[in-house]
Amino acid sequence: MAALLEVEALRKAFGGLVAVNNMSLSVAPGEVLGLIGPNGSGKTTLLNLIAGTLRSDSGRILMDGEDVTALPNHLRVRKRINRTFQLVRAPPNLPAIATVMAGVLYGAGERVRFKDAGYEAAGWLGEMNVLTKADRRFDQLTYIEQKRVELARALATRPRVLLLDEWLSGLSPSELEGGISVVWSLAARGIAVILVEHVMTAVRALCHRVIVMNAGSKIAEGPPDAVLRDGEVIRAYLGDDDA
Amino acid sequence: MTETSEDKRIRRKRAAAAVGALAMLVAMLAALPWLVSDYSLSLLLNLICYLVLTIAWALFSGTTRLVSLATSAFYGVGMYTVAMLIKVLPLYAAFAVAIGAGAVLALIVGVLTLRISGMFFVIFSFGLSEMMRELMVWWEINQTHTMGRYVYVDFSTTKIYEHMLGLGVLVFLVGWLLRRSRFGLALLVIGEDETVARQVGINVPFAKVAIFIVSAMFMTLSGALMAPRFGFINPNFAFNPLVSFQVVIMAILGGLQQLWGPVLGVIPLIVLSEQLQTEFPFWYSVFLGLVFMVIVYFLPRGLTGLLEDGWAALGRPLDLPRGFSGPLRDAWALLSRPISLPRGIAGAIEDRWIKIMPRLTEKR
Repeated sequence: MAALLEVEALRKAFGGLVAVNNMSLSVAPGEVLGLIGPNGSGKTTLLNLIAGTLRSDSGRILMDGEDVTALPNHLRVRKRINRTFQLVRAPPNLPAIATVMAGVLYGAGERVRFKDAGYEAAGWLGEMNVLTKADRRFDQLTYIEQKRVELARALATRPRVLLLDEWLSGLSPSELEGGISVVWSLAARGIAVILVEHVMTAVRALCHRVIVMNAGSKIAEGPPDAVLRDGEVIRAYLGDDDA
Repeated sequence: MTETSEDKRIRRKRAAAAVGALAMLVAMLAALPWLVSDYSLSLLLNLICYLVLTIAWALFSGTTRLVSLATSAFYGVGMYTVAMLIKVLPLYAAFAVAIGAGAVLALIVGVLTLRISGMFFVIFSFGLSEMMRELMVWWEINQTHTMGRYVYVDFSTTKIYEHMLGLGVLVFLVGWLLRRSRFGLALLVIGEDETVARQVGINVPFAKVAIFIVSAMFMTLSGALMAPRFGFINPNFAFNPLVSFQVVIMAILGGLQQLWGPVLGVIPLIVLSEQLQTEFPFWYSVFLGLVFMVIVYFLPRGLTGLLEDGWAALGRPLDLPRGFSGPLRDAWALLSRPISLPRGIAGAIEDRWIKIMPRLTEKR
């Protein structure tokens, strides 16, 4: 499959700390790419760089062959790259549907009239099974509902590449099952998903391919089962003695 | 899925009712100059002027939640531009130049302040107003050797009032449209969380500067319209910082949830300021400060919030598990409790302050 998103030699340093060092990856439509690694290994920073939340120091990001490295966050959304946040984010005092509507109106989808945006947003909330909460204030929703609303917001902008930052973490076993099937349905729709995750059940169940990061660099890449047995990966997580 | 015909019918009906009511109100207000005394007319003019300023302030600050104290800067630029140009340009041309000057100033300030937020923006906007005032004082003294300007022009209070009323209708319409538009929704999202706003594809800096300019143009024009009202204008009068403070207090007294909120804030304060300024001129600022404290402490959502709560309470059944005497007994128990001040009065104040602080710093 031809790659949809390609990242070449991306680098980001915060002062003396190199958070992301010479990272390259590619992901194809319908593929779920897992991004794992110990805490502080630069996974979230890499997502921030791809989404445009942070600017990279060097390297290139190509979306469908087009260089988007110089584009600010909101224009990358229109180039159909979107994300969710590790700590769920949405306007706390607005009704849940409001952010989704903003996504419909400002995202990469067809231009919709303002009064029709609510209906389309309701459709996205329905797809995420939270339509009944549409007019609740966001901060009054439960954790899993907030996560689903946030995903609806991301989907409303019609992404072709979706970056999920620990979207499956902190869920109960039954919620996790539901969450996994949601991510499956995204991939089945042809969206390229990059998943930062600590929940290994989800990684094994979902990912076609896994990239392991440690201290800002890639240390392994391949199918989940093979990679999780890799000696260097075990060392990165557990230290030298257990390898 | 799109709007059904039933939805459309209801929406049209509501819109028609609102437009009808507004048109009647405006027609009544427009007829007032022929019915009331000169004194009442100048009071009304003052009222409408503050209404324009307050709604214009809410366009920017109510949505983006950046508290601006730059109102007097724009109001002053409008007023002083007209005062300076009145001898060389026709009145309407002077108005046009004033709006242009306000828009350019707003553009510059907007671009400069994009990256500052919260408390820093408040200070910056206040600094801007004071800088404009000092700059004009300096210019007039050192360059033109005047202390102020005479504005003699044939533009009666009635005419100013009618123009200001038109401006009021316009700013109200802009606010109304903003609540039903893509751009207005974008501003609300920006006000709550800029990171999310960017992540839905909103061009945040552009939106903030754009609404700042729109808001500033209304403030500038209202200042420009008021210029012919006063025979003599000096920089200290035009750029009076009290204007900025009053506008903020009026807006939050009224409440920012509803478009008509500022009306509830402007009317009582203007009427009271009129009374107080004539009878106890020095007490007005004290009173304004007290109003501000009362709002922050008891009415965080303003009078409209109070009305909304009252309305909601009317629809709820009374909840008195211990009968009507229950609340009375509670109040009595509270009053008859002995006063205990283990850490003295200062300690009690400190405890109180710790409770109030979060409310003062809370994002509205």
